[in-house]
Amino acid sequence: MFVYEKRLQFPVKIKNTNPDIARLIMSQYGGPDGELSASMRYLSQRYTMPVKKVGGLLTDIGTEELNHMEIICAMVYQLTRDLSEADVKKAGFDAYYIDHTKGIWPQAAAGIPFTSLEFQSKGDAITDLFENLAAEQKARTVYENLLRVIDDPDVVAPLKFLRAREIVHFQRFGEALEMTKDTLDSKNFYHFNSEFDRMKGKIL
Amino acid sequence: MDSSSLCPCSEHLAMATVPKQEWCEPYDLITALEEGTIFPCLNLTFYKAPANKCHCKTHSMSGDVQKNREEMMSRLTAVSFAINDLTLYLDTHPDCPKGRELFYQLLEERLSLLTAFSSEFYPLTQTSMITGNYDRMKYGWTEGPMPWEGACI
Ligand SMILES: [Fe+2]
Repeated sequence: MFVYEKRLQFPVKIKNTNPDIARLIMSQYGGPDGELSASMRYLSQRYTMPVKKVGGLLTDIGTEELNHMEIICAMVYQLTRDLSEADVKKAGFDAYYIDHTKGIWPQAAAGIPFTSLEFQSKGDAITDLFENLAAEQKARTVYENLLRVIDDPDVVAPLKFLRAREIVHFQRFGEALEMTKDTLDSKNFYHFNSEFDRMKGKIL
Repeated sequence: MDSSSLCPCSEHLAMATVPKQEWCEPYDLITALEEGTIFPCLNLTFYKAPANKCHCKTHSMSGDVQKNREEMMSRLTAVSFAINDLTLYLDTHPDCPKGRELFYQLLEERLSLLTAFSSEFYPLTQTSMITGNYDRMKYGWTEGPMPWEGACI
């Protein structure tokens, strides 16, 4: 179960309204490589993970991704909370405003709504861990794309933090892959699927 | 850990390998929060993300209570983040004594910070409503700003 703690994992304190940046950052809420996808990916995959320690890691990283989702939403909120009628017309936020006013709703930067088609839970430990390694790299790329076009130091600080987390998560999923490989036949890692053909694996 | 980790990549075709992290001496906790990891060896920076100092300034009007609350919240944020990062490290290194020692030490500091924050200001978790001497008549969400408001607390 999940329990709420009344603070952010990383503080978000943005002084200047900027709907243009908000629209870009929103992609890390509801976009293809966003934090909502990340949390749902790991929290969905964990149930059938054959190695208990890997199921634990997926729970902990999936939970951290929920914290990141909250950080992104706080950023979008603070960048748009003082939005004026004039801001709406001039800043590229108008299409979003028509549908959601200033409400926070998960969509990609290009306006595509959040969809679970953007992540996988494949029921094969090796496949899912590679999915996760790739996902962390894709999210790192998005944070770097954001950092390249954003200069407000209030916005850069949390983006820099979130980017660094993607690299740490990549490392941990790499270690999870090694733990999973230790339970398989190293002569042929693909001889059976340790999630479906369960009885064939070593139980660790 | 086992013989396969001695020579991980040369033997196996069609499989990738990520080397296992060795323990490296952590940053101080404030730097760790700013950098996004407690481990210097995992801090692989991007050229366009400059070093950034925490930007919430105490207002001169607000006095000691505000200053005390901000300091306590900053420490709690740093300690809690270090625990987050150590949790993932220990998930894949459960037998590392240095990691475990720091983990338990930080868990104790976090518990006392949550208790002190609840006693002096307002509770951040349900459990910290009873671990400190929080006024039991003041139940509710109305105390303290919402976390996403960006208030200087
Ligand atoms: Fe991540």
